[in-house]
Amino acid sequence: MTCREAGPLLHARLDNELDMAGAAGIDLHLSECRACAAQYAALENLHEEIIAADLAYAPGPALERKLASRFIKSKKPRFTFFMATAAAAACAVVALVAISGRTDALDTEILDNHLRSLQPMHQVDVPSSDRHTVKPWFQGKLNFSPPVPDLSKDNFILIGGRLEVVNRQPAAAIVYRRRQHIVSLYVSPSQGPDSKTGLHEMDGYRVVHWRKNNESYWAVSDVDANDLRAFAELIRNRY
Amino acid sequence: MQPRETGGTFNFGKDAVNTRVRYFELTVWPHMRAAYNLARWLVRNEQDAEDVVQESFLKAYKAQESFRGTESKTWVLSIVRNTAIDFLRRLGTTAPVSLDEHPYEPEDRAPNPERILVERSRREQVRHAISQLAPEFREVIVLREIESLSYKEIAHALGIPMGTVMSRLSRARSLLLLELDSAKEVQHDLP
Repeated sequence: MTCREAGPLLHARLDNELDMAGAAGIDLHLSECRACAAQYAALENLHEEIIAADLAYAPGPALERKLASRFIKSKKPRFTFFMATAAAAACAVVALVAISGRTDALDTEILDNHLRSLQPMHQVDVPSSDRHTVKPWFQGKLNFSPPVPDLSKDNFILIGGRLEVVNRQPAAAIVYRRRQHIVSLYVSPSQGPDSKTGLHEMDGYRVVHWRKNNESYWAVSDVDANDLRAFAELIRNRY
Repeated sequence: MQPRETGGTFNFGKDAVNTRVRYFELTVWPHMRAAYNLARWLVRNEQDAEDVVQESFLKAYKAQESFRGTESKTWVLSIVRNTAIDFLRRLGTTAPVSLDEHPYEPEDRAPNPERILVERSRREQVRHAISQLAPEFREVIVLREIESLSYKEIAHALGIPMGTVMSRLSRARSLLLLELDSAKEVQHDLP
């Protein structure tokens, strides 16, 4: 590979857009060419600097309220709303499954739940970045004790927790933030052998599922697949 | 309980509204933060960004039928992007920039006193450098580096081919490196 060929691919390598063979080709060139290696290091450094600067602008609460009251609040009363849209929801589930093929209904239920939680005031029942507040809050509300790890060192900031029902079972939802992305971790008892993490993509979101010690775990978010896998592995290795 | 007074026609209308609300909740609302962030970076002020998001959401609310149900995030972002560009065009603050022209002349490199006085933190330097890019470069940087979108998603959101995403991203990063290196040097010159 010449430097001229490598040039445009440095970005694709940095952005994880190359297949394994392509990445290996670039890595080989970088190990042989100082100039390209320096250029790559500069790009990597820029990428990290932008991420570290945390430059996302967040909408103010006033805008959020304004938008919610304009587009969402008309759904009351809730029960009627539920009845009226059950058919639509069923269609949406069918559509999602049809698109992804491999997606099972439970992943769709998890994603739906996560999306609903993104509406204002729905995110957490116990808002706290302190695991010693969130973990005890679940006691007495659930017949199992969900893990609430502190992952701030890995840049997943705890936001809080809430109670959910997944697959007609009580479940804990523990909510983290990574930069401007929300990551929900669902935990629910489930009998069965331990499993490795499996990733499903739906509509720009990712759901990672695994089972360990008779508890089922789902991590769902729109962070990129590598970040969500890393999040899942952090938890799977600890509990 | 179903409200009693719901007669046939009225009930039908209400169902239609509720279906639309449900669609909005699941398809558009989750991308509110990303929508605001992109709008804010493109129009570069808070009030205008809020207007752009509201206008975009109204378009998305009405355009339910045109959404085919695969990539809601890039679909919403494409509406925001087009609304923001229209907004800037109305204001007349942006001239279309061709790739052949030099899109952005970095500020005077000489360490003029004004520049030295403005002792920005590195974070502000990075923010400033991105905000000074031409819109077509700024948007790829925001979508890639801040929103973590893939090339395919960026291509979808901006309605441009993947090859163009790659060339713009490469150009944008070169411009940023140039500007930020000079910013670093200026800071080194400080007493």
